[in-house]
This record gives sequence, structure tokens and C-alpha cells, in this order.
Amino acid sequence: MSKSLATVNPCSMCMPMGSVMVFRGIEGCMPLFHGSQGCSTYMRLYLAHHFREPVDIASSALSEKGAVYGGAANLKQGLKNVIKGYRPKAIGIATTCLAETIGDDVPQIVREFQAEEPLAKDVTIISVSTPSYAASHEVGYRVALKGLVQTMARKSEQSGRINILVGAIISPADVRFLRRFLDDWGLGYILMPDISETFDAALSQDSPLIPAGGTPLDDIRDTANSKATLTIGGWVQEPGAGDYLEKEFGVPHIALPIPLGLEFTDRMAANLEELTGLSMPESYERERGRLLDTMVDAHKLLADVKTAVYGDTEMVLGITRIMTELGMRPQIVATGAANPAFAEKAAELAPGAKVMIGADFSQIAAEASSRDIELMVGPFTGRGIARKEKVPLLRVGLPNHDRYGASHQLFQGYEGSMHLVDCMANVLLEDKEREVQHERRVQAGAVSE
Amino acid sequence: MIVKVFEGREGHIQQKGDGLPLACNNESLAGAVSQRACVYSGARVVLNPITDALHLVHGPIGCASYTWDIRGSTSSGPDLYRNSFSTDMKELDVVFGGEKKLAASLRELAERYHPPAIFVYSTCIVGIIGDDLRSVCRRASEELGIPVLPVKSEGFRGNKNEGYKAACNALNELIGTRNYTPSHPSINLLGEYNVAGDLWFVKPFFLEMGIEVVAALTGDARVAEIERAHTAQLNLVQCSGSMTYLAKKMEEKYGIPYRRISFFGLQDMSNALRTVAEFFASPELKQKAEEIIRRETARVMPQIEAYRAKVAGRKAAIYMGGAAKAVSLVRAFQELGMEVVIIGTQTGDRDDYQKIACIVKNGTVIIDDANPLELKELLFKQKADLLVAGVKERFLAYKMGIAFCDFNHDRTTNFEGYVGMVNFAREVSITINSPVWQLPVKRASRIGNASQLSITAGNENYVQEPCHS
Repeated sequence: MSKSLATVNPCSMCMPMGSVMVFRGIEGCMPLFHGSQGCSTYMRLYLAHHFREPVDIASSALSEKGAVYGGAANLKQGLKNVIKGYRPKAIGIATTCLAETIGDDVPQIVREFQAEEPLAKDVTIISVSTPSYAASHEVGYRVALKGLVQTMARKSEQSGRINILVGAIISPADVRFLRRFLDDWGLGYILMPDISETFDAALSQDSPLIPAGGTPLDDIRDTANSKATLTIGGWVQEPGAGDYLEKEFGVPHIALPIPLGLEFTDRMAANLEELTGLSMPESYERERGRLLDTMVDAHKLLADVKTAVYGDTEMVLGITRIMTELGMRPQIVATGAANPAFAEKAAELAPGAKVMIGADFSQIAAEASSRDIELMVGPFTGRGIARKEKVPLLRVGLPNHDRYGASHQLFQGYEGSMHLVDCMANVLLEDKEREVQHERRVQAGAVSE
Repeated sequence: MIVKVFEGREGHIQQKGDGLPLACNNESLAGAVSQRACVYSGARVVLNPITDALHLVHGPIGCASYTWDIRGSTSSGPDLYRNSFSTDMKELDVVFGGEKKLAASLRELAERYHPPAIFVYSTCIVGIIGDDLRSVCRRASEELGIPVLPVKSEGFRGNKNEGYKAACNALNELIGTRNYTPSHPSINLLGEYNVAGDLWFVKPFFLEMGIEVVAALTGDARVAEIERAHTAQLNLVQCSGSMTYLAKKMEEKYGIPYRRISFFGLQDMSNALRTVAEFFASPELKQKAEEIIRRETARVMPQIEAYRAKVAGRKAAIYMGGAAKAVSLVRAFQELGMEVVIIGTQTGDRDDYQKIACIVKNGTVIIDDANPLELKELLFKQKADLLVAGVKERFLAYKMGIAFCDFNHDRTTNFEGYVGMVNFAREVSITINSPVWQLPVKRASRIGNASQLSITAGNENYVQEPCHS
């Protein structure tokens, strides 16, 4: 089917959504959308479904008056109320279509606010431009991450630390893994953003107004003084925070795929070794061995399995890589983002696969029906296709609204990759068993078809 | 004031007995994290359950992404409504206008999906750049030979109530375009959205009484049913916030009277059946209604009594989108022997809040357009055991160790009709009486001095020093 004008069943979200995923990974940071009330409520709802956590996002609640005369008054009132109500250390402002189209100069409004309002004195305010019509949530994510270092990073003394930028949306469990990995390695690092606690908070007796955790503000300021930056999941992204730090402060930047699969995880480990001169801890060598062992165990079951992988660019590439490492055959490698670099890498990773960028689910569905797909991997939004094609769907990534555990999915690193292999294998086995059962019941005359 | 509130929110919250009318139905306060959505959302939730219609969002992709298959409204047949269609406006469309893309999209989608009607929703940006939705839709309608209805739902033009109106206006254009002669007597069900299959637990009673349901608006509706809805003799209005406007229009235009009813709770469900019987002034209908009421009540009473024994005396908080459901919930909680200590809505109007004030006890907190900070403090101060609300509020309650019942449009359990009340009672009971609330939040330690407080017992620490005043 040719690319249609209308988008049918979108495989992407809007830019402000990406900004929330960054701002919520910053210590004491409250996100605020400059726009109409609905944007913040919709994204709160969307993320609450996914993470099963309360998600507060403020809004400047622009109305007709604001749309006509400009939203400065609303934005300032919104900032003031957020400071009074939530006592944030930082506020991350993301614009919406409305604010961008009426042409509000947000940085200027923020400067005025900071000059006028005594309450603003101890609050760091970051503003980013994220109109939904410009690009997808992935770009919103990159822009917000860049906005953070642009606003906050300051040159002082060399710290010798390494900036680990999480360049793609991964789960809180994945981020916890990265922290553990780096801690065990014993190297100094700054991890940013850090949603490991903020989007997956422990139940405790005190629930703070803004969830605890996140990258400390001082660390963000200090990113200018690190000896290098690794962007994990920045492989096919346009220049972002890491490039800014390199250009502005001379911090060398390396953009890597997410550590999913053997090769990509090895690549992260190798880079860390080179940068630090320290070897990867022995326990992770054993983990690597266990991953390899798992891949060997599952190789026959997974051999030649035709798959469709879709979702966010970096995640899709990582999953595609481990599939080819296992001898699976990705047939569709798709993303909703309009990202040509993705297309190039995807074609290299999975020769012969139909690679799609800027795709929606109607296009993916059209491809799926002619390619005998046996397994789908991606967000829950592909469930319609899975149902129609009677193909099992392993839910990975954002959004996942109809299953539990989105926050706890660990798919990064050797251990995470091992989980992914287990999950793919089991989903296929369960599907096969259901099929066999069904056939038996049909033979016994219990059901029709 | 029972809790600290943001400056400008003082009038929106009171305890019954305070006397003053509640401030309501105005713009949400910037920075307060209102639980409300926008005009578009109001329009979308009303129209989305029309199962065979094509719902096209004219705007950037976000508005369509976040509302894709958003309602738990179920269908007995077509499922076109469970897809998400968007013109996915890009920068160039914003600069040069989106009318051409819209017109081409309509053509393409009509050809591919053959819908009996298309609803076209405008979003914030369309209102700013000034696309003429009405004339694009009119031209498309002529060309395609199907109704193409513009829904004027720019997000910033008011609150959700404006969206309800925009949806009703679109429905109003559709109604009356198809000839039909229903059997006698006949009714429409307005503001019934078939969430979790609710309709299917209610409609059979009317059929049993010999009443034809011409159209349900909009639960499990087909376009054709709505087109002939003007032929019914009576409109029953359940979700009054969204559909009273349409009911009034239909009364003006077609002389169809309307009655407000609710299908939730034993009392309200029974009253709905009686209301219809009385309207048609038929002794036979009355007798049938009483028969059904007796039979169904007897059937579910033992189960409800069993649950009532487990929840009676507990305190409930209600925070709903619309007021009608909130009012119905108060009565349902009475049926379960529970006390309502907080009641609030996103979009209630002055009449709604007066009605609410009449049916709750003195001391009950009534709140309009609440936010998480206020809700949190209120739940604590009013010692609520249970919150009934939607997904955004669910995790707020859970984090505080408070039981929760989902009564929003994405719930998956049927709550209407007699069986629905059993389901509701069960859900209230399983969450209130779950053992998880008794688990120790802190592990007993032989070497530390960790407390053994349960989740619920730790409540006093939840409310941080309020500072937003």
C-alpha cells in the first residue's frame, strides 16, 4: 500500500511526550506544558497507564484569551503555582502546538519571570521548543536532553567522570541496570536522565510531591567537566546533548546503540574499558557467558522465525540485532519516526527486511499480511495487527497499556538480552501450545473451525 | 478552608454546610495540574463509541495518538471506531493551511474504509491557523455522498463541556436524516456509552417491557440508528453533562421530551424503568416494570447483602468527570451502607453542585476541578477508605494506601443494571478488604528500629506540609 495522506493508527507520539520522559528523570523536576490543558492531561493519562504511577504534569492552561493575546500571563502564573504547590528544584517547560503557533517567546517570558518573581530564585527553569507538528516524541526527547545541558552545563574543574546519556526511552528497570553496571565497574559517571526511581517508585510511608530520584542538578551542571560522553541509544539520532557538550566544552562524544544483544552490549563495554582503562568486572563476563548459553539453548526454536519489529528507533535496532544474532529473520523493521539514519542501519542489520520509517500501523499491517510473520515485538499498539494475523505479540517499550510490568522489563545489557531471548522463546512456545490445544479440540468436535 | 488551596481556587471547594454556592464551570488554573482534559477530549469521548463511523482528527499526531481506542466502549459488531485516523499535520500544513490535506484525506479514507459517516475533529492548531472545516466537510459530503460532520473542538476554546456541546451539535446534524417508523412505545438512551458492555445489561429490560430502543447515544451505536433517533417518543438522559444539551435540542426540534435517569445502582436502575412506564402512562408497562424490578432485585440482593456486610461503615471519596455519575454513586454507596466524605467533578455546573449538596451529609467536602495536591490532602483529612475515580487518580490513591475503584471510561467491568451493581459491590469490597493494605511497609528488623506499620497506617506521613497558599 502506498503512503497515504492520513495517518491510520499512529506508531509515534508527539514531541512534548518525549520531553516529559527526560524532565521526569531529573531530580526535583516538574514538567510543565505551555499550551491547552488537554495536552498535559492526555499525557498524564497515557503515562499513568504505562508506568502505573501517578504522573503530575502542569499546564499553563491556555484559553481563548491566551491564544489571542499571547500566553505570557498564563505561563507565569503556571510557573508560580508550580513553585508554590510542588516546591520543585527545577521546572522543565515544553511548548505545544498551540504555544508555538501563536508565537510565544518562551525563553523571554522565562527571563521576565525570573527577574520579577522572588520565588523563582532557587528554581532552575529549562525551556524547550517541542511543537507536535514538527517531529515525533523521540525528537522531543533529544531536544529536551539537549536543552538541559544547554541551560545548565558549566565549565569548572575536570571531574574525570564519564557522562552516560540515556539517548532513548528505556524502562526504569533498564536504567537501574545501567546504574548497577556502572557502579559495579567502579567508575565515576553521570547518568542522565534517570527515571529508575521516578517512574517506578517504591511504596513507602512518605510520598513526596515530586517523586524522589532522578539525575541531581549538580551533576547536570558538571557534565561540561567530564572526560567523555557516551550516549547509549544515540546511534541514529541527530546531534543532541552529547554533541553540544563536545562542541561547547570539548568533551568527546561517542554515540552508541542501546546495549541489546551480544554485539551491542560488547560495544558499550569496550568503549567503557577504553575510556577508563578498567576491565569489565568478572561477574559481567559470567553474565555475558550466560547470555551466550541462553542464545545457544534457544537457537533452534528461534531459527528462521519471521518477525516484525516496530517502535522507537534505537529499541527496534537493538532488538533487530539480537534477532539476527539468533538466526531469526526480521521481515519488517519499522518505526514511526521519520529517521533516514535508522533506515540505513536497519537495512544493514537485516538485509532483505522491509524497512519502514515514518510508518503507521496501517502500513505495517499491509506488509505483515504478506510476509507470514510469526512473531511481533514492539509496543502494545501493534495488538490489532497481532490479533488480525493471529501472531503472538511480545510487548516491549512505550506504550504498554494492557499488560503489567512495563516498568520492570529489563532488556538491556547481557542479563536483559537474556530475558528478551527467554521471552521471545516462551511467547512462541505458548502460542504453539495454544494452537495444538485448539486443533485437538477441533478434532474432538468441541469447537468449530 | 479544610485544605490549603492555590490562590484563585478558594471558591471551588467547600464542606456541605458552608452555605455559599460553589465556583464552577470556568477555566482551569494554570500550574494547578487540573485533572481535566480539553474541548477535543470532551467531543471525542462523546462521539467515539459510534462504532461504524470514521473519526478523523484534523491536527498534529499527538491528539490522535493519545485518544486511540481510549474508551472502554464496546461494540457488538463494527470496530472502525477502534482505529485512529489523523491528518497528522506537519510544519508545512501549519504554514500553508491544512484544508487541502484534509480534503484529500477524507477522499482517501472514504474510499478505503467506506464508512457511513465521518466525524472531523478540529484541534488547537486548526483554530489558530483558521482552516475552514465546515466548508471542507460540506464539499466532501457532497462529493462522497455520506455525512461528513465537522466537530468544532479546538482544545483551548473552553473546557470539556464545550466539547460535549460540539459533539452534540454534530449529532444534531446527523439526527433526522433517515426515515423510520419505530414500534410503540419507543425510546432513545442518551449519555449511555456502553463502557464495558453496560448497555447490554440494561437494554434487555426495555425490550422485555416491549419498548423499542431506537438508538443509544452513543454506546454501541451505528450511524443509521442515530440518523433515525428523531423517531423515538422519549429520550432518557443518563450522562446529563454531555447529553442534556442534545436532549433539549431534540425537544425543540422534534418535540421529544426527555427524562433524566441513571442505570447505576439498584434504586436508580429501578427508577429508570418506572420513569419510562410512567411516561407512557400504561398500567401494563408499570406492571412489567415492577415485575422486572422484583425479580432482578431478588436475584442480586443476596450477593449485594454479602458485600454490604464487608464494606458498610467505610468512607468513600468520589471524583468523577461528570456530575450525573457522581450523584448516582452517592445513592449506590447508601445501598452499600457506606458514607461519602468527598465528592467532586471536573465539569459539574451550578445545578449539579446544588443537587449534590442536597444528597450528601453535612461535613462532606464538595470540590470542583480538583488537582492532585488537593485530592491527596483531602483524602487524608477526610479519612477516606476508598476513592472512586479514573486512571490518573488510581495511582495517587494507591501510593497513599487507599483502596480504589475505577469508574471511568476505560474501566473493564460492567457496573450498570442489576448485575452491574453486584460487580461494583464486589470491586469495592475486594479493594477495601484486600490483604495488601495490611502488609508492613517497613520490614521488622531485629537490629534496627524499623516500625511495622501497614501501608494504611502510615497515612499521617503522606501529607507533606501544605505550602500552596
